[in-house]
Amino acid sequence: MITKEIIDQIEGEASIYFDMQDGKVDFADIVFPHFRGMENILQGKNALDALLITPRVCGICGHSHLMAAVRAIEDAYGNSGQIVKLTQKAHNIRELTLTLEIIQNHFKWIYMVLIPKLNSLNNNALQETPLKGAYAASLATKAMSVLSGQWPHSSYMVPGGVTCDPTYIEIMQAKASIEKLIAFFERESLNISLKDFLRFESCKELNELFSDISKIEEQLIMLNMHQKGFSYDTFIVLGEHAFSKKAKIKMTRVTGVDVNHVSTEEPFILNERSYAENALYKNIFHETGPMARLMSKNIKFIKNMHRRYKDSAYTRVMARIYETGYLLEHALNLVSSIDVTQKSIIPLNGIDKVTARGIGVVEAPRGPLIHKIVLQDGIIENYKIITPTQWNISSGPRSKLSPAQKAMSGLSKKEAEFIFRTFDVCSVCTTH
Amino acid sequence: MHSNQEAKPQLLWLQGVTCNGNTHSFINLETLPQLLEKFEILYHPILPSTKNLHEIVSLKNSCDILIFEGAYDPVLKRGDTLIKDVIVHYAKEADYIIAAGTCASFGGIFKQSAPQRNSGLVFNENITQGPLMAYKEKIINLSGCPIHPEWLSTILNMILSGYSIPLDSLLRPQELYSSLAHHGCSRNEYFEWKVDAKGFGLKEGCLYYEQGCRAPMTHASCNKILWNGVSSKTRVGTPCFGCTEPEFPRNDNYVTKTNMSIPQDVPLDIPKRAYLSVAGMAKTFHIKRLEGKLIDYKRDN
Amino acid sequence: MARTTKEERKKGIISAALQLFSERGFYITTIPDIAQKVGMSVGNFYNYFGSKDVLAKELLLYISEYLGKNLREINEKEITTKEKIEEIVSMYFRVAKEKPEMIEYFLRVYLSNREVFGSECKGMICVSPFVTEMMIFFDESVSRGDLYNQDFFSAFGLFMGYLGGMVFLFGEDILPEPLSFYEKDITENIYNALKSRS
Repeated sequence: MITKEIIDQIEGEASIYFDMQDGKVDFADIVFPHFRGMENILQGKNALDALLITPRVCGICGHSHLMAAVRAIEDAYGNSGQIVKLTQKAHNIRELTLTLEIIQNHFKWIYMVLIPKLNSLNNNALQETPLKGAYAASLATKAMSVLSGQWPHSSYMVPGGVTCDPTYIEIMQAKASIEKLIAFFERESLNISLKDFLRFESCKELNELFSDISKIEEQLIMLNMHQKGFSYDTFIVLGEHAFSKKAKIKMTRVTGVDVNHVSTEEPFILNERSYAENALYKNIFHETGPMARLMSKNIKFIKNMHRRYKDSAYTRVMARIYETGYLLEHALNLVSSIDVTQKSIIPLNGIDKVTARGIGVVEAPRGPLIHKIVLQDGIIENYKIITPTQWNISSGPRSKLSPAQKAMSGLSKKEAEFIFRTFDVCSVCTTH
Repeated sequence: MHSNQEAKPQLLWLQGVTCNGNTHSFINLETLPQLLEKFEILYHPILPSTKNLHEIVSLKNSCDILIFEGAYDPVLKRGDTLIKDVIVHYAKEADYIIAAGTCASFGGIFKQSAPQRNSGLVFNENITQGPLMAYKEKIINLSGCPIHPEWLSTILNMILSGYSIPLDSLLRPQELYSSLAHHGCSRNEYFEWKVDAKGFGLKEGCLYYEQGCRAPMTHASCNKILWNGVSSKTRVGTPCFGCTEPEFPRNDNYVTKTNMSIPQDVPLDIPKRAYLSVAGMAKTFHIKRLEGKLIDYKRDN
Repeated sequence: MARTTKEERKKGIISAALQLFSERGFYITTIPDIAQKVGMSVGNFYNYFGSKDVLAKELLLYISEYLGKNLREINEKEITTKEKIEEIVSMYFRVAKEKPEMIEYFLRVYLSNREVFGSECKGMICVSPFVTEMMIFFDESVSRGDLYNQDFFSAFGLFMGYLGGMVFLFGEDILPEPLSFYEKDITENIYNALKSRS
């Protein structure tokens, strides 16, 4: 029997058509119904307009789009004979604001999505405090804004660097906000210092904390999430940052990757038209996101968890939570590393001199984000965007399930919907 | 407002063709907990709601304040129901209809998704046209891409306090849209003396002459009510893109359109001759302090 | 004879000064010379202009405003860009013919004796009314797509350098024909040089 469930509050909407057998999911196909045609909108526009337009693909991860866009343009410069080398200052400022966007995303997901959805499975066992997540997120975006001007929808990255030229006033303000956020996280979510949390090697160490995080972990075990939601145990990381390493990870085997082997295809459609293309690497589905990134960096806590619980929903969720703390420490290190006396921008020739292709890749909150640009005299001839949710929540036939489809198989509908959300879905990005 | 003293006003947040930027901007509001206490949120894209999407689109309820984010598209469905029917239903009984963002106000960027059929609620760019024309007197346009959370909280609090909200000709609250984004920019002295920024990435210099800054022509409070409590585009060297105006998004941003080196658009309502005379005069003088760097990090005394 | 107003007296001084500067030269002409030509005492003269330098700058502003006013009238006409060029050339040459002392002052006194004008006439401040009107002309013509969008000075230099050069030659009695004879070709040349390129 096939039933259609509309999932909302996922940065938009998706429909899942569940084909149930004996109360368990036999097959699920996923439809993203809303399409805005951002790639069409970009065609014919000046390359720099992509810096204004692409953040508007998404309200929660627009900053990642900005960075992917500017990297694509800079790559095109390189391919037209002008290699762009950022100053350390510009590079670190960009990395810092990107990191802070991922942090705000995770806080919102933990407190406004994860906890309420866990509660729908466990009779409201957890205390729901969504505004804690909102507050923490606002601290992260406040820290970012002294450098990026605003969040959402900053356009402060331009080819060659960044538009801002901070003094130590801005650096200290950003640092103070990050420190405040860390203190909040320690007090409200962890009940232990961040440093100690990041030293954990096993989930057992969470047991005595009696904090939001430890309670979430408890609930996940109680709901057997460590035995559910398995996918292909195959991951990919394409963005290269201090907090991630480009890699393909199959179970525990790590190999190199080349973005040129990424492809997209039309989704498998059974019931209704979906506008989300599937993303694949060498024609195989891969999972992306915090779990993939932490595995790529060999983080003990996650590696040990993975050894016991593989790529279960438990590991997927705990990875995102752990990454929040991991990135907070990274943000603090970054803000202390900015040398304001360096230049913000390396001057380049006019964009109208650029006729070339370019690719920009960043790790967005949910995984790799790819922007491909084709320029003719600085005008966009073609623009292609591949978002992380296109990897995780693709839609394939029974013979080739996507990571999310596989993870949902064999579960009750309610559990399947929960598993779906553990991938941290962004509908607007997926269809763009 | 419904007269029952105990019942809080009911707020409904619906979306058209959107990126959710206004939703996420709103969540940054410093006083969010206090504001939410004053309303019953029937439905919101991310905040806890008393009703679910299915209940909302079954059109059996009403709301006191309808907030709409995103461009209007007559064939768009949410919850398998045409948005067209949903907003008209709730508009009937709402006391206030707030267009949150430039897309809902004028069409904005997502008018370009389907230019022939998409628009704002009562404006299609700067032409009066839209699905809620019959309820025009209830409409408040909060244009911006995205809106600043305090713009929305100010209006909601004014509504709760019973203040009347004077609007401009584009139905934007004059409280928020009578000043220009230019007012309060930290680079004002450079604007006064026509010291242009030499490229991007410098805290010195005005961004109007060459970097395409639209702040002197844009109605907004961005340098008055700072973004995220601390900043603004122009303070970090990014030119204003004029996102509160019906023409947003413009083409060829980051560059000032000039005709023979003369800016195509001069500050709002300033006659071009007057502006050129004053600018010409100011440009003649070379003020040493203004042409140098603000901070000399290498100075040791 | 009705009592003349202060404004009319001032205009009289300006006219006389321009005449004398044109006939005898800037440095040779003295304040008493000018006062005598106007028929007022030297003391009274100083009520109108504090010094010869002040007079020199005021003359510049007066000429700029005069030309600027004429230019504005042309700018505000609903005619084509090419027709405007024609009218600007015609106007400039008419002033050169009917009030030669004005253009002469600009070419021979202002441009040749910059030291007189000192730091108070830096850049183009003192000719601002005229330059502003030329800016308006260029801005509208480019905006309409008639003229090629280039830097202001390369266009301004072509236009004004050309006209100034012609008037200079006229002043030196080198031109065989009257200025009006050359208007048509000059208009063509300027328009062809500045028009938009496809």
